[in-house]
Amino acid sequence: MADGKINITINGIEASVQKGSYLLQALRDNGVAVPTLCHHKDLTPSGTCRLCVVEVEQRGKKKLVTSCNFPVRGEIAVDTESERVKTHRRVLAEMYLGRWPNVPLIQEVAAICGATDKEKYRSELTDENPKACILCTHCVRACDEFVKERILDFAGRGIKRHLTMPFGEVDPHCINCTSCAYVCPTGAIEIVDDMNNPVNPQMIRDFGMKINAEMATLDKDQCRMREVGTANIVDVMDAYDLLPVHNYKFGSHPDTKNIDSKILKAKYFTQDHPDGCWKGCSMACAKAVDGFELRTGPYKGDRVVVDGPEYETSAAGANMGCFDADFIVEWNFYCDTYGIDTISFGTCMAFVMEAFEAGVITTEHTGGKELKFGATEAVMECMHEIAAGEGFGVEVGQGIRYLKEKWIRELGADADFLQDIGMEVKGLEYSEYVSKESLAQQAGYTMAVKGPQHDEAWLIFMDMVNNQIPTFEDKADALYYYPLWRTWFGLHGLCKLIWNDIVPLSNKDYEPQVAAKVPDHVEDFFRFYEGMTGEPLDEEGMLAQSARVHNLQRVMTRMLGYGTRKDDMPPFRAVGPVTAEEYESRAERYDKQLEELAGFDMKGKSTEEKMKAIREYRMDQYNRVVDAAYDRRGWTRNGVPKIERLRELGIDIPELVEIIKDDQE
Amino acid sequence: MIIVNNRDKVEWHEGMTVQDVLDAMGYDYALITVTVEGTLVPEDDYGTQTVPDGSNVGLFHLAHGG
Repeated sequence: MADGKINITINGIEASVQKGSYLLQALRDNGVAVPTLCHHKDLTPSGTCRLCVVEVEQRGKKKLVTSCNFPVRGEIAVDTESERVKTHRRVLAEMYLGRWPNVPLIQEVAAICGATDKEKYRSELTDENPKACILCTHCVRACDEFVKERILDFAGRGIKRHLTMPFGEVDPHCINCTSCAYVCPTGAIEIVDDMNNPVNPQMIRDFGMKINAEMATLDKDQCRMREVGTANIVDVMDAYDLLPVHNYKFGSHPDTKNIDSKILKAKYFTQDHPDGCWKGCSMACAKAVDGFELRTGPYKGDRVVVDGPEYETSAAGANMGCFDADFIVEWNFYCDTYGIDTISFGTCMAFVMEAFEAGVITTEHTGGKELKFGATEAVMECMHEIAAGEGFGVEVGQGIRYLKEKWIRELGADADFLQDIGMEVKGLEYSEYVSKESLAQQAGYTMAVKGPQHDEAWLIFMDMVNNQIPTFEDKADALYYYPLWRTWFGLHGLCKLIWNDIVPLSNKDYEPQVAAKVPDHVEDFFRFYEGMTGEPLDEEGMLAQSARVHNLQRVMTRMLGYGTRKDDMPPFRAVGPVTAEEYESRAERYDKQLEELAGFDMKGKSTEEKMKAIREYRMDQYNRVVDAAYDRRGWTRNGVPKIERLRELGIDIPELVEIIKDDQE
Repeated sequence: MIIVNNRDKVEWHEGMTVQDVLDAMGYDYALITVTVEGTLVPEDDYGTQTVPDGSNVGLFHLAHGG
């Protein structure tokens, strides 16, 4: 017997079923039909209607059980057609028929159970409405399980039991997901308001319900977005040496356990209900901390609600070497309150800390603050200064590019060193991923129109871990498709999390190259688009829509004085080890790469010589991937869209051509 | 010896299963698709499907986040 299987007998025939599975599913898997009114494939079985009863014999004893919620744990003999079972079903079906004689589903199931007499149990409670509520609990369970709300439930006892909302009023916590109407088998719940006037509301509901069901059944074993939100990524990135630590020097740290999703869930997160950022979305990925007592700043001593922390915020904590969850929650609160981006601040402060530790700046420049990695109190002090427009905070608040230029100009700092460790491109700070081992991600960051944000391309696993895009052309293809696909979300004001932070089971049936795109979800988004607009969409159409905007953005960037190759060049910290400490910390990896890929003779070489060699090798690789990506996008080798590319896209209007005409090859 | 993702080498042993390969690589990520010689392996079979010596095994992590 294979692992997890168990032998049972169904109507005298032996069958092998998964141990622990519910009997109804096991029966259906073996081709045995059992009638039911309350079962739904995406909802936890409830045994409400009791029509699915079967007779189970175990250790010589026979009993009737509701098969939908009976787990198969031992060897049993099942009879689905015994006289006892048939009588039980028929009498129940006659009662249903007497109460709701005109509901098509009741008529259908009653016929299967041999119940035809509508009069036998007819009474003053009989509801002649063909769309009557039959108390199946689909909607109640969907509200609870899909959306984690309990807005619908039953009131009244016995024959007065009926569906309602709290106090019989419309509950403001309803997120308008329409799950209840979707799972209602009789039409008792109807949608009467279609916001935004979609052309095909049903198509959109089909899309939404598919996601709701996936969230309810799959998320707990995938990304745990409902449980811990994007904080789950902290754990993953640390495990794969991708979590930025000490200004991106390293990719993991033993103290990550102090700020990971486990500690946030155990000690901080108090809210895990949908926050309503999208009508009807059941992902509920936004988390919050209630009653957090602040230790610093103008609200010191107050108990507040903190929205977060998200992955990027915790990871920025690691980047500053601040592995202290109390600090991260407090810092998160003040970033939100002051309107400061946790990514830009975290990355900028990590740069300041490295510069401080390297002696580029001292307490003389920081207003006395010892801004070493891990200096949580000094970070908070600096943050309050930014908001107040005082002291060193005024300078930090202007970002890495400003600080580099100032320190080079006024302090005579080593310009090459600051360029290497200052994690910014186009003046924007990097988001919180280590890109050193993924060439495609290095370019994904630098080539992103707004600066090094991963929302155009997150290719680290495809490239570094999976080795799915080994050639420059493969990487260039990924740097063509994914930024356009992700741009498409922005174009339509859609959230991307339900694209690949929840993945349908069917995704494992695709070849990995295809699976990486999560094709079923891409199709779902196309159907959603069609449902809203009435226009069908496919991959070619999607790419064309996005490419027009993406190229327009690049031309506008050029107009603003950026948008050429020099603006797409990374600080070396994003590409490889800048310091000997960094090289030595991953020496085995770098040595192997130098020897096997770069053909470098390692004999008798010092760390400095090896660092020089790996810098040359990696920058050469970087430039090659950028060449390939520019070619694939129809841009010049200087990174400017070719006029013929604008023509292909139908956006070669004179105003745009004028901006780029002098940049053509 | 088996080859993972056309690049990494893992020492083979008698009776090695797909799960053993995942463990050897230290991969416990939730969204992994596995192939052995290009054929997809269902998740339920990770603990029972053996991997012959010299196999090419694909352990493909799906991206998420961002």
